[in-house]
Amino acid sequence: MQEIIIGIGVTALAGALAAVAGAAEDTESNIGSQGDPNSQVQLAPQMGYTHRIYNKAVSGEPPAYTLWVTLACGVAWAFLMLGVNAILAIIFGTVLATFVQGVYATTAYLGRTASLSKFGQPVFIDVVKSVTTVTMAHAFVAIFATVTVCYLMMTVIGHPFALPLLGIVWGLALGAAGSATGNPYYGKERQYQNQKFGAGVPISASGNIVRYAEAGQRSSIDNGFFTAKFGGPASGLCFGLIVFFELWRTIIFEDYLAGWGAVIVGALVIIIFMIIDRYVEVWARKNYGPYAVEA
Amino acid sequence: MSVKVEASHDGIPHNKVMVIGAVISLVSLYIAIIGTVIGVDYLAFFGGFAAVGALIWGNSTIKKLCSYGIGTGVPSAGMLAFGSGVIALLFAATLGGISIWIVPVAGLIIALIVGLFLGWISNSVLNMKIPVMTRSIAELAAVGALALMGFGVVATGTVGFTGIATIEILGVTVYNASYIGAGVIAVSFMLGAIALQHPFNACLGPGEKQDRTNMLAIECGFLSMIIMAVISFVFVSLAAAWISLIVAIIGWFVSYVKYLALSKRDAAAWLDAKPFSDAEE
Repeated sequence: MQEIIIGIGVTALAGALAAVAGAAEDTESNIGSQGDPNSQVQLAPQMGYTHRIYNKAVSGEPPAYTLWVTLACGVAWAFLMLGVNAILAIIFGTVLATFVQGVYATTAYLGRTASLSKFGQPVFIDVVKSVTTVTMAHAFVAIFATVTVCYLMMTVIGHPFALPLLGIVWGLALGAAGSATGNPYYGKERQYQNQKFGAGVPISASGNIVRYAEAGQRSSIDNGFFTAKFGGPASGLCFGLIVFFELWRTIIFEDYLAGWGAVIVGALVIIIFMIIDRYVEVWARKNYGPYAVEA
Repeated sequence: MSVKVEASHDGIPHNKVMVIGAVISLVSLYIAIIGTVIGVDYLAFFGGFAAVGALIWGNSTIKKLCSYGIGTGVPSAGMLAFGSGVIALLFAATLGGISIWIVPVAGLIIALIVGLFLGWISNSVLNMKIPVMTRSIAELAAVGALALMGFGVVATGTVGFTGIATIEILGVTVYNASYIGAGVIAVSFMLGAIALQHPFNACLGPGEKQDRTNMLAIECGFLSMIIMAVISFVFVSLAAAWISLIVAIIGWFVSYVKYLALSKRDAAAWLDAKPFSDAEE
C-alpha cells in the first residue's frame, strides 16, 4: 500500500514537472522559431520580407530535445557516479545541455542568415545576443524538469531503463508534444496575425509573416509573449497528461493480468482521448470560421 | 527519378573530402589503439579527432544526397546514419576479441555492407529512385560507425567490447554501469546524429559555402567531444579526462571563432541594434 501511495505522489509530481517542461519547451521553440513555422521565417526574405525573427534551424523539435535531454541525463549520470549530490548532478547536466543548445542556436541562426545574403537579409547581432539567452533560459527550465522526471522514474519508481535511455524516450516525447500542440498556434496564428481571421494561409501570403510590433520592428522574443498565453500552457498540459497517464496506469494496473492490465488501460486512455479530440474538432469547425460553409 | 539541384559549387570535390575525412578518422583511431595496447589511456582524446574526421566526410555526403530535394529529410539522414552505425560498431567491437587492431577497419567494412543493404531497400523496395542513394547511405553508415567509435574512445579510452561493455568498480566487474550498460552510448548516438546533420542543415540556402559548412562540422564535432570528455571522468584516469576536455574546449573555441568570422564574411550585412530598411517602404 505504501508503495502505491509513494508511486501516486511521484506520478503527481512528475506530471506537474512535465507540465512546466512542456510550457517552457513550446515557448523556447517559438522564441527561437524552431520546428515547422521555421520554414516561413526562412522563406520570408526570399519573398522580399526582410525581418528580425530568429532562425533556429537545428532540426525538428523532437530530435533536438532528444539530444538536450539525453545529454543532460548522461552528464547527470556521470556526476552521480562521481558521487555528486543528485540535485547538483542534474543541474550540472542541465547547464551543459543548455550551453550546447545555445551554441547550436547561434550557429543555426548565423548559418541560415548568411546563406540568405543574396536576398539582402542582414545578420542582427543584437538579436543573437538577446534572443539566444532567452531561449537558453527557457530550455534550461524544460530540460531540468524533464531530467528530474527521468531521475524520479529511475530511482523512486525503479524503472529498468538507464538514465540516458529514459532521456531519449522523454526528450523525444517532450519535443513531440511541444511541436504538435504548440506550433500550430505560433505558425498559423502568430505568423499570420496580419491576415484575415479564418482565411487559412493563402499561397500569396507565403513569407508575409508578422514583422512589425506596436512600435518598431519585432524580434521573436515577442512571439514568446504571445504564445506563452495559450500555446505554451496547452503544450504543458499535453506533456503533463502524457507523463501522468503513463505513470498512473503503470503504477495502479501493472499487477493485474501479469502486466497486461497496464497495457489495456493505456489503450483505453488513447481511445477516450481520440473520442474527445474528435468531438472538440467537430465542435470547433461548427462554431468558428468559414470552414463549415465551404462550397 | 528526382532532379538534381546543386546546393552550391564546391571548391573541393566530394571524393577528396571523403578520403580526407576517412583517413583522419582511421589514423586517429589507430593512434588511440596504440594507447590501449601499451596500456595508457591519455591518448583517448584522439577519438575526438576521429569523430571530427568522420563528421567532415558525412557532412559532404549529406550535402550530396540532399541536392536531390530532400530538404526536410536532412535531420533524419543523421539518425539513419547513426542507427546503422551502432550495428556495425557493436559487431566490430566483439571482433576486438580476435585482435583489437582490426576493430576500426572491420567497423568501416561492416557499416558499408549494412548501409549498402539499407540503401538498396530505400531505392529499390521503397522506390525512392535517387541515383546517389545507395552509395550515400552506405557512406553515412560508415560515418556513423567511425564517429561512434571516436566518441566511445573519448569516453572509455578503448574500442574493444570488454572496454565498452564492462567497468571495474572496486575490483568487481560490473556491466550495468558501463558505456553500453548505462546507456552512455545513447548520448553518443544523439550527439553524433545531430552533429552530423546540423552543418548542412544550418547553412542551407542559396549562399551556402563549403568552407563555412565544413568549419561548422568541425565545431559540432569538438562541441560533442566536450560532453564526452566530461562523461569520460567516470571511465578513464583523471589525467586522460582532463586532456580530452582541454583539447575539446580549445578545438571548439577556435573552430567557433573561425565559423563566426566566415559567417560575417558571407552575410549581407552585420548589424548591431540597427533596424532593417524595407524594400517596400
